[in-house]
Amino acid sequence: MAYEPVLTRHVGDQDAYTLDAYVAKQRGYEGLRKALTQKPGEIIDLVKASGLRGRGGAGFPTGLKWQFVLKDTPKPKYICCNADESEPGTFKDHVLMERNPHLLIEGCAIACYAIGAKVAYIYIRGEFYHVQQVLEAEIEKAYKAGFLGKNIFGSGFDCDVFVHRGAGAYEAGEETALIESLEGKRAQPRIKPPFPAVAGLYQCPTAVNNVETLCNVPLIMMNGPEWFTALGPEKNGGPKLYCISGHVKRPGVYEASMHTTLRELIYGEQFAGGMIDEHPFKAIIPGGSSVPLLLDKDLDTPASFDDVQKAGSLLGSAGLIVLNDTVCMVWLAKNLLYFYRHESCGKCTPCREGGDWLFKLLTRIEQGEGQAKDIDLLFGVASNIAGKTLCAFGDAAATPVLTTLKLFRHEFEAHVREGRCTIPAEWRARQPMLAGHH
Amino acid sequence: MEYAPAKFHKSARKLAPAGETFTYSPENQRRFDEIVTRYPPDQRKSAILYALYLAQNQNGGHLTAAAMDHVAEQIRCTSAEVEDVVSYYTMFFTKPVGKYVLNVCRTLSCALLGAERVTEELCAKLGIKPGETDASGTFTLLEVECLGACDRAPVVMVNDDWHERLSPEQAGKFIDDIRAGGAAAFTGCHLHKEKK
Amino acid sequence: METVTLTIDGRPVTVEKGRTVLQAAIEAGISVPYYCYHPGISIDGSCRVCIVKIEKMPKLQTSCSTVCTEGMVVSTRDAETVAARAGVFEFLLVNHPLDCPVCDKGGECPLQDFSYTFGPADSRMDFPRRTFDGEGVKADVDFGPTLMLNRNRCILCTRCVRFMKEIDTDAQIGVVDRGCGSEIATFQEHGVHSLLSGNLMDVCPVGAITTRDYRFKSRPWDNPTVVDTTCTLCSKGCSTSAWLKAKPEWAKGSQLIRMTPRFNPDVNGYWMCDIGRFNYHWIESETRLRRPMIRTAAGLEKVGWHDAEPRLRDKIQEAAAADPDAVRFIVSAHAATEELFVLKQMVQGLLGADGLKSVSMAWTRSEKPQPPNAKFKIPAANAPNVNGARDLGFMVGQGNDGPAPDLAELKAAVEAGRVKAVYVLDPGPDGSIGDLSWLVEARRTGKLSLLAVQGVVMTPHAAAADVVLPGYAFVEKDALFTNDQGQVQSASLAIVAPAEAREDCLILAGLARALGLDIAYQTSDEVRRALGGAMPGTAYAGAGTVVFTRPVPAASWLQASNPSERWKWDFMFQDLPPVKGHNVQLEGLAREGAGPNYIPLRQVDK
Repeated sequence: MAYEPVLTRHVGDQDAYTLDAYVAKQRGYEGLRKALTQKPGEIIDLVKASGLRGRGGAGFPTGLKWQFVLKDTPKPKYICCNADESEPGTFKDHVLMERNPHLLIEGCAIACYAIGAKVAYIYIRGEFYHVQQVLEAEIEKAYKAGFLGKNIFGSGFDCDVFVHRGAGAYEAGEETALIESLEGKRAQPRIKPPFPAVAGLYQCPTAVNNVETLCNVPLIMMNGPEWFTALGPEKNGGPKLYCISGHVKRPGVYEASMHTTLRELIYGEQFAGGMIDEHPFKAIIPGGSSVPLLLDKDLDTPASFDDVQKAGSLLGSAGLIVLNDTVCMVWLAKNLLYFYRHESCGKCTPCREGGDWLFKLLTRIEQGEGQAKDIDLLFGVASNIAGKTLCAFGDAAATPVLTTLKLFRHEFEAHVREGRCTIPAEWRARQPMLAGHH
Repeated sequence: MEYAPAKFHKSARKLAPAGETFTYSPENQRRFDEIVTRYPPDQRKSAILYALYLAQNQNGGHLTAAAMDHVAEQIRCTSAEVEDVVSYYTMFFTKPVGKYVLNVCRTLSCALLGAERVTEELCAKLGIKPGETDASGTFTLLEVECLGACDRAPVVMVNDDWHERLSPEQAGKFIDDIRAGGAAAFTGCHLHKEKK
Repeated sequence: METVTLTIDGRPVTVEKGRTVLQAAIEAGISVPYYCYHPGISIDGSCRVCIVKIEKMPKLQTSCSTVCTEGMVVSTRDAETVAARAGVFEFLLVNHPLDCPVCDKGGECPLQDFSYTFGPADSRMDFPRRTFDGEGVKADVDFGPTLMLNRNRCILCTRCVRFMKEIDTDAQIGVVDRGCGSEIATFQEHGVHSLLSGNLMDVCPVGAITTRDYRFKSRPWDNPTVVDTTCTLCSKGCSTSAWLKAKPEWAKGSQLIRMTPRFNPDVNGYWMCDIGRFNYHWIESETRLRRPMIRTAAGLEKVGWHDAEPRLRDKIQEAAAADPDAVRFIVSAHAATEELFVLKQMVQGLLGADGLKSVSMAWTRSEKPQPPNAKFKIPAANAPNVNGARDLGFMVGQGNDGPAPDLAELKAAVEAGRVKAVYVLDPGPDGSIGDLSWLVEARRTGKLSLLAVQGVVMTPHAAAADVVLPGYAFVEKDALFTNDQGQVQSASLAIVAPAEAREDCLILAGLARALGLDIAYQTSDEVRRALGGAMPGTAYAGAGTVVFTRPVPAASWLQASNPSERWKWDFMFQDLPPVKGHNVQLEGLAREGAGPNYIPLRQVDK
């Protein structure tokens, strides 16, 4: 049976983003209306029953996260929507916010009601200025229509949703760093515990949820948890957005169930439509740049949180970057380490010093000036970062090095042996300057 | 309190220009006062990024020490805390920038499709290196990290606007188009359908 | 106190509930390195060197941020922790210059010590190190009027940032840029302007922040002795440590080289102000009074005590002959309780029960420029013993809280010619007694027939005096001071007073004897015993049994009295002999009293 998109069915419509279209075509704000007739605890139970897992990367059960939010406290509580979509290869929240903003707004309101919050902040990355414009205009309309503000649907429930614009920091996507940034500080992670559920924004109980996660909440409210779980494999229910980029014919955001295999996503005609040019598939990064590579033999893995993990990688933010054989893995690791080195917040030692060191080593090897010991050193330094840092960024920064070394160590050795990149120079269209250098 | 001779080495750190006296325009002041109400009354600092955007835009694209002082006053924190924040985020500038700031995404998905060459073409066209502003003060070229539009690689963010699928071959023409038609040269975000 | 018991490296450790694993390890004497943790400021968890293995936890945990729970099993010595920790040390030294020989922190540097203990033997880093403002000591740049900053050495523990934010409450320091380009900086390089700035040197775990005062002046192995004492420059009475530098062998002796704060949860926590820290140079300055002097036709002339005392006696008796009230005393509130006690006995012996009326207490007062919410407040009253004077019955007006005395009544009496002789007791730094220029003027015009000054430095009134008697500064005597909270605290003898200076309470006792009174004290101990006997049922009752600290080897000092840095000195100074040429008696005492006076780690209200 063909999968019917639910999150993105209407995004192609001209008026998809408007309140009227949302109400008419997607039974807009019915989920919220239904939620407000129930007790907050019941909503959390519903979300738990649906098995909804966080779409931001970690795949943590959303219902549990809400349940952990401290209840008996005189302090206000907050929902923070993580719309700092910065993981390389990820662009799904972008679509949802731009084309289906009311789904997110409704999700924020239901989440607030569930945990007892009155305010939700949508932390949107600074580069999404045009998205922010749409979002703020639509929030304004939701207020006017009585879906936000005081005494929503006469239930006595008040809810405010505000957009907070970031200013260019990948690290702000980490939940505690996002909270720090919302508080007007550098986006640097906090030591956990205490977790945000206990002491988050302004030291108050807070739940931080990804955009796509919150967008699923109204669907669960309307259609029930059974409908949601039935959409995907066990423990991986619900619709999933996949961002496919790289060397494929039709890069883009595709909605599918998590039964769908990686191979279908890459080659399926309703998805990315196969590889571009004549160059064959080499590897795939299945969940944003921070996860290990998978090879052709792994492509029949269903793209679900659990199956991808079993295959040795992570679904992460479902940012699939497809690579063909023109890609030099040393270059790839260097490109990503430049990113991690640039985006490291600098708070903790291993990530701050280690990221820079890895980048320097990779540059040396890539330029053909590396020695055999540099390869072992790369592995040693990356291993010393992984697991020792304050937040998951350190593991993410070490991963591109560890995974390329594990699967493509021969390319590193060839660089050292030959003193140059072994990918044919004419394939290296991306780097004429370096091609000339070799 | 002086306990030793004052003549020691000065730091080599590049500082933001001192700038002329800065205060918000009445319009910006009104907008700031409105945004501050979104946060609890004792959490004015939450509005710092917004306050800095206002100051940067009012000041023609970059922040001066005087602007940071003014923001500190508005937020009720120290100027050092403001600089701390300004220096952390990539979208704030502490030196003058051109009218158009070209932010070329250089992260993996864009790089796979030629972002590095786009940068090179732009460098050649403008006669500058990444991080520099051209002689006319019209263009500043920067390499930035993933902009979140990997399906439309290579992507360029120009000020707050987007231009998608800028191939190396079109890069030179792109500059000419901007010179000729300004913001009309940008494709904008493809999701933004009503614009077209 | 509710406690929890956990196991660290196989040892059961019981600590107060709520302590972290790192604090438990420190209390149990188990060495765990740390940089970003400081007991006086908030927990950051960023340096990552305090990682330990905790059973049932998936990854290594930072011990500074993990709260102890009952039955927790912690390991700081297993292979995984040792290797991971060494890895973090390798990262810390990736960009930290190995310029220890020219670094001011060298020898007392936690990065040095812990790297030797826990770090790898070699670094695999072969790229050039990052530099900010040049290399070596040339990278030391301005960091405000009291400090220098070397960014190359900074390991970004952000203790200084948090100190300014949380304790000083004026966040003048920030981190500029991010990632591997992060650096510590002040806005527009203005530097740190705070009366608490010296603490930044203490909290800095490397040689990045140094004080201009101490920079390049000494090496820790040159100051192997430290004396626990009390600061007397204001009414707060911070617990401090006086560091003594050994002079070269040919010069003998030792000199006061710096003052640092000593943990005292009831008074100053971990901190002290810049006034107390840097204002000690007057003690060993050129202006010190070294010998008694009397005025002759040729000006002040150095004489022996056997000449000065009879001259003083004759002059006082001459002034008092017509009217006993014509002799008056101006006493600085820098005077120790012992001195005030002897003075009280003397004036009451001479003038009867209301003899205290002849004494005017004097001190100065200045509001200190500090942020309104600063967690460490410096009092306005610039004298240590106003409360001591009050407790002994001297007139102090509203004391520490009120305005400084203006001496108008005495001034009027002098100018009216009713007062003929004034005896000034001024054991504080120049100016600490307030403005006495009117007195100098009265002596010059002859309204006064006698101006006697007992003090430590050549002040304007000492220069105008007929008789000058050299006393001891607060680090040169064992003495009691009562701070603004009413705590009776002891300042200890740290250095030997110059030349023929004499202990102040004994000068007064000698004068009393010369004036015919039966006051026979030979030591300040006897004074304290008499003080204790005279004031039963008060905080002074035990004055006779107060134990003063003696110079101790720096190693045991730091282990004993600074719980935050206790481990640092375990590896140092073990083989150094006591300072040669230092007071032999003190050395004997040092050996006897060297046992650690352990202060338990306590939560300080921040």
